[in-house]
Amino acid sequence: MTGVLDRVRGVQLSGLATVAMLVVAVAVNASLQPNFWDSYALTSNFATFVPLVAIAVGQTIVVLSGGLDLSLGAQVTLASVVAVRIVDGSLDRYPLAVAAALGVGLACGALNGLVVALLRLQPIVATFATSFVYSGLALVVLPTPGGSVPFEVTTAYRDSVLGVPVALLLIVALALLWLVLRRHRVMRHVYAVGGDADAAYASLVPVARTRVWAYVLGGLFAALSALAILANTGSGDPFVGNELTLASVAAVVIGGTALAGGRGGAGGSVIGAIVLALVANIIFFADVPTDYRQLVNGAVIILALALAGIPALQKRRAA
Amino acid sequence: MSPPLLEMSGVRKRYGGVQALDGAGLTAVRGEVHALLGPNGSGKSTLDKTLAGTVVPDAGTIRIDGAEASVGGPRDAHALGVAAVYQQLSVVGDLTVTQNIVLGLEPARRFGFLDQRAARDRAGAALERFAAAFAGRLPLDRPAGALGPGEQQIVEVAKALARRPRILVLDEATASLHKEQVDVLFDVVRELRADGVLVLFTSHRLDEVFALCDRATVLRNGRTVGTVELAATDEDELVRLMVGDAPHQAPRTPSDAPATPSVAAPGTSTLEVRGLSADRLRDVSFTVRSGEVLGLGGLQGQGQSELLLALFGGARVTAGEAVLDGRPLPRSSPAKAARAGVALVPGDRGRQGMFAVRPIQENLSLASMRRRATGRLALRAAAERRAATSMVERLRIKIGSLADPVSTLSGGNQQKVVIGKWLLDRPRVVLLDDPTKGVDVAAKEEIYAIIRGLAADGAVVILNSSDNRELTELSDRVLVLFEGAVAEELGADAISERRLVSSALRLAPGEKL
Ligand SMILES: Nc1ncnc2c1ncn2[C@@H]1O[C@H](COP(=O)(O)OP(=O)(O)O)[C@@H](O)[C@H]1O
Ligand SMILES: [Mg+2]
Repeated sequence: MTGVLDRVRGVQLSGLATVAMLVVAVAVNASLQPNFWDSYALTSNFATFVPLVAIAVGQTIVVLSGGLDLSLGAQVTLASVVAVRIVDGSLDRYPLAVAAALGVGLACGALNGLVVALLRLQPIVATFATSFVYSGLALVVLPTPGGSVPFEVTTAYRDSVLGVPVALLLIVALALLWLVLRRHRVMRHVYAVGGDADAAYASLVPVARTRVWAYVLGGLFAALSALAILANTGSGDPFVGNELTLASVAAVVIGGTALAGGRGGAGGSVIGAIVLALVANIIFFADVPTDYRQLVNGAVIILALALAGIPALQKRRAA
Repeated sequence: MSPPLLEMSGVRKRYGGVQALDGAGLTAVRGEVHALLGPNGSGKSTLDKTLAGTVVPDAGTIRIDGAEASVGGPRDAHALGVAAVYQQLSVVGDLTVTQNIVLGLEPARRFGFLDQRAARDRAGAALERFAAAFAGRLPLDRPAGALGPGEQQIVEVAKALARRPRILVLDEATASLHKEQVDVLFDVVRELRADGVLVLFTSHRLDEVFALCDRATVLRNGRTVGTVELAATDEDELVRLMVGDAPHQAPRTPSDAPATPSVAAPGTSTLEVRGLSADRLRDVSFTVRSGEVLGLGGLQGQGQSELLLALFGGARVTAGEAVLDGRPLPRSSPAKAARAGVALVPGDRGRQGMFAVRPIQENLSLASMRRRATGRLALRAAAERRAATSMVERLRIKIGSLADPVSTLSGGNQQKVVIGKWLLDRPRVVLLDDPTKGVDVAAKEEIYAIIRGLAADGAVVILNSSDNRELTELSDRVLVLFEGAVAEELGADAISERRLVSSALRLAPGEKL
């Protein structure tokens, strides 16, 4: 039984590691970025966090079910270009655009889920393939960057309520949405399927349907991410989601969710996403030459993943 | 007269080359505890699973209350009132005990949101009657994976009971229970019987079967050989039904060995094991010499695999030692054990023995690469290929090309690759853990020839097998293990399938069988 104790400890330790990384990232960022604690800087920082936080929550759900969704970034792109084409600068059409984005996310998620659960393709292969479909469609819908989001939306997104940035409220809302989902039967089944699919099947859990749900929920959060990006940038871009996919996986790992599935939660991923966004900030303010930014960003992500993985390694050695 | 509650007939199920069920069936009534018996591998678990919906049979009918039932999955079985406790536990370790007990049937409020209090109440009620097994404190909120094996087993039973079955399947449900836990379980089973529930009970402990069950159906090689009233049957008769009237199998003599592949290191060796204890092993001592095949028999899971693993440096040894030609074997490292000349051919080849998607050649040469590496580093492609080719020829592995992934081979040929991988390392001690499990008959014979060849070439061979016929055909001696200790040693003239079964079941030795 020591193995299990070690495992539980591993999760707690990695929770600690996640928080430690957040503290370090905030400290470094605050020392480099002038006026980091000013309300303007805080607001614009949180505004950039929301899309990554949303997609990280979606990826968490898929990973917990024992899967992986490499098309989430492409889903963000597709949902955002569809929404921006519909809204086209008009506030009246904004609700319709929101509905369309959500519909796109749910549909993409459902397609992924069906391919993985029914055709039983490897999640990595299946979602890598569908990611090309989604980004291809996005290029058809919006071949070059353009379109505009009503300024009421972009203004509200960077506003604050009683001194609290709206973007921070949105992050809290995403976390609350996760907490609500956690109390739903579908999420319980997601944990069971990711933990031990055979045992779940024998225990009357509808395994295939649960897998589909996990991808559908992933698509839902991709759509929310798309809406946040639009509100933040004010216009559409058919490549906007490219880098989000891997960032979402990194956020999940940094947040302490086991890639094998069944163990972890979105709370850690939210922090993981913020850590990653802060790292991008730090690189910017540290005056890293433009050509090296990507390289440094990658190196820092690998370092963070390694740190997050150390407890797991210790566990394996102890076992 | 009303029809029997459960009638299964003509059930067949094939796994690759293995006919697990070949026309099995049973008939049982409500308010009965019905034993399902048979030697290892006779198909008991598979028959249970076809009833519980986790295995879909190739043919056969299931009637419940006289009506033909189609069981396409666990949910169908549940709708028919069947709940099962499987031999391989279906507990999800990361969920709490409560979450496990209600899994799949979680009580929910509107829109599918979980009703945690109702779940706790239901789990508590199901576990309540086993309170004695948890020293009075129900671990409802602990992760199930943190419980001991016996406690997890009880959680499984509670989970099945929470489904309020009309038919309850208990497949080796007592295997990891303590005496007190077994007593609690039996009280519960008797209550269920009084309430008209049919309990299908599989156990290798015949005393439990006689204490609890009313009738027994016996399987052999996937077929039902009969159903008996236990009150009118004794142990001898049950064993005779389980083993059949198979002719006494003579133990092998060196001369039966056909032209054998020559692969082991020459020379003579002696392996002496003294007072070896580890997790699930108690004070095991024996000596084996080169050229000898020592069989390990007994019920499954009595420490056989643990013994092999301990000899291979893969278990934490708490006492005792194993000495090969006067030198103690390394205790803590399979890599060092391999260097000392020990090879382990694992039974679960899918998980431990091979890299299914990698080429055959790579799989063959992996364990022995350091022998051919120049300056311990560089590998020469030609040498690797030569070594692999020679092993394919010696073991008569049927392959397309060395570059094909191992997963393209049949089960028997896959297992030969696993054996060959270790033989390339020229071991002095070969440990085989159920090497022909799931392998078809023809390939079995070839693997037998390889094993005999290893012994003839002077290797020390230790063979664990769940197949008693295999033990009788290959072993010079058999150690029968029970609960981690050597219960009996059978010499060459005492090895027969019947003797193996009765010894495994711990009937008094020398009974007239
Ligand atoms: N999933 C499987 N794949 C391949 N072979 C299997 C599988 N399950 C069982 N078998 C084989 O079917 C036979 C019957 O197994 P089982 O029903 O577990 O027997 P028992 O419970 O009586 O010991 C054995 O030869 C076993 O190796
Ligand atoms: Mg069995």
